[in-house]
Amino acid sequence: MPWLGFALRVLVGGVWIVAGVLKLPDPAESVRAVRAYQLLPEVVVPTVGYALPIVELLVGLTLVLGLLVRIGAALSCVLFVAFIIGISSAWARGLQIDCGCFGGGGFDARAGEKYPWELARDLGLLFASAWLVWRPRSRWALDNRLLHHGTNRTLTGEPSR
Amino acid sequence: MTKKQSKATQQANMQRASERAAAIRAEHQRKERRTRTLLVSAVVVAVLLIVVAVVVAVQANRDTTGQAGAVPSGAVDTYSVAMGKPDAPVTVTVYEDPMCPYCGDFEKVSEDKLRQYADSGDVQVRYHMVSFLDRASTSKYSTRAANALGVVLDTAGSDVAIEFHNALYANQPPEGSAGLSDQQLIDLAVKAGADEQAIKGPIDDLKFQQWVVNATNDWSKKGFQGTPTVTVNDKKVGFTSAEDLLANTEQAIQEALTK
Repeated sequence: MPWLGFALRVLVGGVWIVAGVLKLPDPAESVRAVRAYQLLPEVVVPTVGYALPIVELLVGLTLVLGLLVRIGAALSCVLFVAFIIGISSAWARGLQIDCGCFGGGGFDARAGEKYPWELARDLGLLFASAWLVWRPRSRWALDNRLLHHGTNRTLTGEPSR
Repeated sequence: MTKKQSKATQQANMQRASERAAAIRAEHQRKERRTRTLLVSAVVVAVLLIVVAVVVAVQANRDTTGQAGAVPSGAVDTYSVAMGKPDAPVTVTVYEDPMCPYCGDFEKVSEDKLRQYADSGDVQVRYHMVSFLDRASTSKYSTRAANALGVVLDTAGSDVAIEFHNALYANQPPEGSAGLSDQQLIDLAVKAGADEQAIKGPIDDLKFQQWVVNATNDWSKKGFQGTPTVTVNDKKVGFTSAEDLLANTEQAIQEALTK
């Protein structure tokens, strides 16, 4: 199913690119959004706040371009698991924060009603990422030129005859 | 002994040999692909890690949080504009963003009441401005307005600064707009009692911008994420609406006074 893989790459990668690009302009805001979850020790909060947007952007780019899809998708899984833990723990602790998923962050009076949707979205994207770890090959991917160059394989991984 | 093999045996041997050769070739190809995959992956991952490291360094550099900056003279507890006696038994701190509409609602219901508490000598009220809503305007209004408040405090003192603070909320621009212009801020400040000549330069040049950045960081590090946040003797007051916030604040003040 080479087209399914391509579609999932664009979907998940697109979400990461948007999320990363929206957060890059304001590093201080990104740091505050990380701090708002009250999960990480203060010494690492700024570094995580500075690193997350660019990591998200790069994961998104690797997926959309099809560059090292398996590694990018695995990292995408790790990030979604972390965000799912973060959001559900904020919900469980009764914190009213904007997830900061696409910039922003901090207090949000309507946070309670948003959490379920955010979790559903992240779960869906987690499954899409997991699929790509399992079946990383798809159409229009740089991997097809870089990694599988000259091996004359079909996209399902079976050697062609 | 016959050295001649039957044609069938010969063919079978040849086929086995070619299958072995094909298997060796395939194995060789497999190894080559593996090596290639590892090499390409290692190079790409290394490049991406360098990109992450560089961007983290750039972002850390762009974020001036924590750097030393000029503090307006007359600021209380470094970041606040205060009204009421410094030795009042109760301290009420109101954390606000100039752009935040709920802060505007709270100001409407609380301004007179809090002034009464301050005048009575029981309470010192501190307004601690933050600028986390800079992206809610097209001109970083939160930073500009909070800077202007710092300038007025610095040049004209607390009483004028409190007047100007109240004027900022009485004339609060809607979210998503360009906010008030620097000139409009200056006009409001002059009306509140500041000297135009003294405030124009520092308002235009954002003299206390770093102070505003650090004030926002201070608020965030105290564990607060939204505005308005009100504390009574450093204890956060819960609320569901502006009226509710004022009622809970008054109750906390009374409790603190009777203790």
